[in-house]
Amino acid sequence: MSENEKTETIRSVEEINEKIRRGDAVVLTAEEMIKLVESSGVEVAAKEVDVVTSGTFGAMCSSGVFLNFGHSDPPIRMTQCWLNDVPIYKGLAAVDGYLGATALSETLGLEYGGGHVIEDLVSGKEIELRAESYGTDCYPRRHIETVITIDDLNQAVLLNPRNCYQRYDAATNSTDRVLYTYMGTLLPNYGNISFSGAGQLNPLCKDPNYETLGIGTRIFLGGGTGYIIGEGTQHSPSGGFGSLMVKGDLKQMNARYLRGSAFYRYGVSLYVGVGIPIPIINQKVASTAAVRDEDIFVSIRDYGVPSRPDLRPVVKKVSYSELRSGRVEIKGKDVPSSSLSSYKMAEEISEVLKKRIQEGSFFLTSPVENLPSQRVVKPLVIKRKELRVSDVMRTKVITANPDDDVKEVAKKLVEKGIDHLPVVDETKTLIGIVTSWDLARALASGKGRLAEIMTKRVITALQNESVDVVARRMAKHNISGVPVVDEENRVAGIVTTDDISKKLVGGRTTI
Amino acid sequence: MRVKLVYSPEVVEKSVLAEVILKTGVPINILEAKVNAQKGELVISIPATGKTLEKILGMFKDAGVTAQKFTKILQIDYDKCTSCGACISPCPTKALRFKPDWTLEFDEEKCVACRTCVTACPVRAITVL
Repeated sequence: MSENEKTETIRSVEEINEKIRRGDAVVLTAEEMIKLVESSGVEVAAKEVDVVTSGTFGAMCSSGVFLNFGHSDPPIRMTQCWLNDVPIYKGLAAVDGYLGATALSETLGLEYGGGHVIEDLVSGKEIELRAESYGTDCYPRRHIETVITIDDLNQAVLLNPRNCYQRYDAATNSTDRVLYTYMGTLLPNYGNISFSGAGQLNPLCKDPNYETLGIGTRIFLGGGTGYIIGEGTQHSPSGGFGSLMVKGDLKQMNARYLRGSAFYRYGVSLYVGVGIPIPIINQKVASTAAVRDEDIFVSIRDYGVPSRPDLRPVVKKVSYSELRSGRVEIKGKDVPSSSLSSYKMAEEISEVLKKRIQEGSFFLTSPVENLPSQRVVKPLVIKRKELRVSDVMRTKVITANPDDDVKEVAKKLVEKGIDHLPVVDETKTLIGIVTSWDLARALASGKGRLAEIMTKRVITALQNESVDVVARRMAKHNISGVPVVDEENRVAGIVTTDDISKKLVGGRTTI
Repeated sequence: MRVKLVYSPEVVEKSVLAEVILKTGVPINILEAKVNAQKGELVISIPATGKTLEKILGMFKDAGVTAQKFTKILQIDYDKCTSCGACISPCPTKALRFKPDWTLEFDEEKCVACRTCVTACPVRAITVL
């Protein structure tokens, strides 16, 4: 079949809506469509099926709600406002605000935040409202403390700048420490793989050419009805990482499909349920709607490298089907893999949407405008010079050998006025570190050789790392200096908190 | 069988567990231990059943250590759980997995109460009893 025949219109959205009205539209979930195409072929499926329903349910950080509280008497122009101690954005009119999903509670920290407030609002729970102002002639009130429910609000509009990522790179961890990330708990030494996305059920995987989706498309959002209002932020369809901006009336939504979440030692987010109907307008759309987990690939990236997401080293490329199998081989080892997003809920959403269409309570829309299908995401380029480890490190490093005598080494430390002594072997490879504190203890307990007292698990830095990152690493491990090593773990320098603070003048850097 | 041992201040310094292991030859495993000068609490796994198990429990009782059988270790609140899977791959003993219909399943026998899943769960649906 030629390309022209594949894109030849089989049915219009209007014709599909007419069939929905009559109650005889053929609606399949994405899973059912895959089975039909496998058994009967894409030509038959394209002829028989009117609509394919998709679904996804995962943590979508770029989510939030526009709220209007109504005016109190006397009125207030809120300059700062909190809901259950979570700050909301108040750079809008007097009683308008935006509650972002990742805003943290000022009292409960990483365990409660914007996502939880949204879930509590949708559940009908009472929410503590607190607001401050400087007071003006027209808005004299300076303070408010009261409780509200979603019913008290004039508007509560879920408006999510980036939802529904087409797919998402998976995460693993090469380091010897547990990492707590927005991809969940990552165990040391490639201990597990965490991934996200509904794969074959994911809406944007079902129409990757944006033939049917666009601005104005009616969707299932958080249990209610919503609309696509544009491309999502960081929309990157060229690389297969498209995203959507969506909105819907929070008052019609259901907390089953909007869940506050907390990622341990990372922060909070909101699980959002999105389902999109794909009208099978031609054979090309029928074939993309039948794309399977084994056809959708992502990279597994090493979150042990603290770089921006696209620069984290790729450990392996895998399909969603491999990820979903629960084990993926990495470097000859069987590594357990599991998802952060719920496939079960994605299935449920595709089923609910199917039912709504079959019942005639959900009609399809043609896009008012198409979404860009060619676009790549740009990184933020730092144009001012930033301090790197190589700018602050000392290259004249005094080192010791494992067989050195503790007393001799202690003497050396005192003479040179230093606190950190990297221990190296004959090839200058770092094998340990001793500090003045270690030596004091060793002398007190009468230990003889450095090898007996040195710390073998050494926290290190690389020359091209940002000083900010290394400063955080030192604070995290409660240490005051780290050896700087090259790719072969040979000592190239040393950097201490003293070196860093001496380079920082007036809060910013001089180089 | 998982058992929680509670040592009173009078017996906390005695080597009760070691003696039980030596006398019975049963390789009891310590899953969790909180011990200080006033009090001791151990969670242990006893690989024995029937008479041997009863004998071991009797020995703890005689030594003044309260032994409570664990009937449940983890509690999963299935009203909260979304079956996302975030707890599955971090679990070191593979006690958490998906059923064929993609809902979360917990295998009590494999659990060592390490609590990794408690913090891995984004909706805090898991508690360790």
